Amino acid sequence: MDRVLEDFISTLRGSGVRISLSESLDAAHAVQLVGYDERRLLKDSLAAALAKSAPEKEIFSDCFDRFFSFDFFPEYPEDTPRREAAEGMSSLSRMLLEGDQAGLITTMREAARTENLNAIQFYTQKSLYVMRILDRMGLNGLDRDIRELFLSGSPSSSATAARLEEARDYVYDNVRAYVEDQYRLFSGSEADKMLETYLRNTKLSNLEQRYYQQMQHIIQRLVKKLNDLHSRRKKPSRRGQLDFKQTLRDNIAYQGFLFDPKWKKIKIERPDVVAICDISRSVSRLVRFLLLFLYGLNKEIIHIRSFIFCSNLTEVTHVFDAYPVDEAVARIQAGTDLPILLARTDYDRSFRDFKDQYMDAVTHKTTVLILGDARNNYNDPQTRILKIISERCKKLIWLNPETKPFWGTGDSEMKRYTPYCHVLKECNTLNHLERVVQSLLKK
Amino acid sequence: MSSKHDEKFASIPAIQDGFREACYITSRQTATTVFLAYHLGKPILVEGPAGVGKTELAKTIATYLDLPLIRLQCYEGLDESKALYEWKYGKQLLYTQLLRDKLDHLVNKEDSFSQSIDKLHQYDDIFFSWHFLEPRPLLKALQQKDGTVLLIDEVDKSDDEFEAFLLEVLSDYQVSIPEIGTIHSVTKPFVVLTSNNTRELSEALKRRCLHLYIPFPDPALERDIIHIRVPDISKSLTLQLVTFIQEVRKLDIKKVPSISETIDWARVLLILHADNLHPDLVRETLHIFIKFEEDIRIVEEQLHHLTTQAVRASGG
Repeated sequence: MDRVLEDFISTLRGSGVRISLSESLDAAHAVQLVGYDERRLLKDSLAAALAKSAPEKEIFSDCFDRFFSFDFFPEYPEDTPRREAAEGMSSLSRMLLEGDQAGLITTMREAARTENLNAIQFYTQKSLYVMRILDRMGLNGLDRDIRELFLSGSPSSSATAARLEEARDYVYDNVRAYVEDQYRLFSGSEADKMLETYLRNTKLSNLEQRYYQQMQHIIQRLVKKLNDLHSRRKKPSRRGQLDFKQTLRDNIAYQGFLFDPKWKKIKIERPDVVAICDISRSVSRLVRFLLLFLYGLNKEIIHIRSFIFCSNLTEVTHVFDAYPVDEAVARIQAGTDLPILLARTDYDRSFRDFKDQYMDAVTHKTTVLILGDARNNYNDPQTRILKIISERCKKLIWLNPETKPFWGTGDSEMKRYTPYCHVLKECNTLNHLERVVQSLLKK
Repeated sequence: MSSKHDEKFASIPAIQDGFREACYITSRQTATTVFLAYHLGKPILVEGPAGVGKTELAKTIATYLDLPLIRLQCYEGLDESKALYEWKYGKQLLYTQLLRDKLDHLVNKEDSFSQSIDKLHQYDDIFFSWHFLEPRPLLKALQQKDGTVLLIDEVDKSDDEFEAFLLEVLSDYQVSIPEIGTIHSVTKPFVVLTSNNTRELSEALKRRCLHLYIPFPDPALERDIIHIRVPDISKSLTLQLVTFIQEVRKLDIKKVPSISETIDWARVLLILHADNLHPDLVRETLHIFIKFEEDIRIVEEQLHHLTTQAVRASGG
């Protein structure tokens, strides 16, 4: 397979089109068949072999147009007179003086290839690449020619020198445009991916405001992904495994003859979640993300009830249902129209509120998810209530945004709550969140 | 695919012209894909909205190559016995009955049970041989000596299991029958799969096929299609009705009119001896290309405007 096609395929992959090895072989065969001569034909052929859905076709078309663009080094304005290149001049100067457009493009592409321009990833690398490509193209030779022409002093040669001086800018501009173009082509998705990995692994409390928008997208995608993974109904019966207990039980009616065999089944339960989230000041920098995440869960999981607490506890499921994400989160954070006191955190009062009003939400099928740092301002920790919840529910998951060494220090009651949690995890990056939800949804 | 068709697939314009003779107008993209599919020996997966001529494409290829078309209509629950082969159970039963005397004769009364079984084993699995095999579309397509066009229609309607089963057929052009063995194709069939995108097909299937997306045609192409399918209709009326349909497709309606419906409408207008579109005529014939009550209401609201626009476009 030739370099051009290889580069093109890696560009497509970078833009998010999945291309397997066999598909790239098909593309190579197709190119052998149709050649590079006719642009339209090449585009149609590669599209058939490489892009396999309507959205992919669009990405393909865009990439193709950018990758195979040849509109660099436009013609000089006509009024500048062409000058004869003198003996001993560098090839770059000669090409510029003769207006050899094709030659210039070829040299530039060749230089870009030797310098591995397709490995460009960050915008900060752009000027570096521009300089390297210019060097490869022979900018030094051009500079020397200009200098010598000036030094020789005759009017015609200084005119040529001025002309070359102009041409130097022209080369520079074109190379820069080319690098810019290639940067957009090759780096786009890679840079996005880098940013995403960074965002996923950074502590949520350290993230800057300007990334909020992006985080929201990532969270939405994450929740969607989890939902896709778990909402699909797999075939529920396990083929051919006898459920002996069930068979015995059901055949008692036939005097114990095993008349009607029963087979084992896999039961997939839809998640049933009660989420309780601390929104007090101690976790204030995280609250936004926890709420964003809760909002996402609310949209994807049907059986979910969400509660928030600070000095007391209240249900917010209806807020998530009624408002778009930004407004919902803002409303909850500000406590708009909600019977909540935003003073000091009080697990005592909050747990009592939960027990008195919402205990019926917890059944033996429910997973209870508590998001909080367990900093109780030296109030009664009410471990008794947590114990009741823990015994009633299927699973109690506590996510603590503090790192482990801080648990139990100062007013943190984490150590006292620990015995009643089925799962207790530190949770302050998106990756943590994702893992938790995965365990939440998995049977 | 034998080399005798090479001439027909020599170049892309040749394919376009050939298809035109078979009354099917293709875009260049479609012709290119068919060209590649033939030369690379790959199946084509055709996707696109309903009624843009996906199935028709397969039929046209068959006509163009002068080969039989074998069609497998997919649906939920389609399985091997419907798609690949089935044992002729009735025939097997009948033959055992008819041959009962023969069997008695073969097996002596004095023989012990194991001796009889041994004797029977000397004869091969006669009852599981080609004579008792009912080939279904896929097997039939592989058996054709001169090659064939195999159309696997609406593959997205079938189950995941069936899709996985197709992979063997599509990549190696062979199928395995446990009692007989692996059957290779005599001549590679030209395979066309169509999908309406009701679900996303698996990567594995897509990887084995060339992909063709047929969108709704642009006005010029659609006029061409009308012209060749309904040759008697006047030029100006074609222009008007195509403009009208193209505008309707831009509206936010449940089901946009397809090409086949445009053709139907053109035929109806021809029968009604219409020369020009006018609002009343359109209103009376609207149900030919709009199939939902709400859609009809939406189009009727815009009807006057759309009609005048279409008439003006034709300069009438």
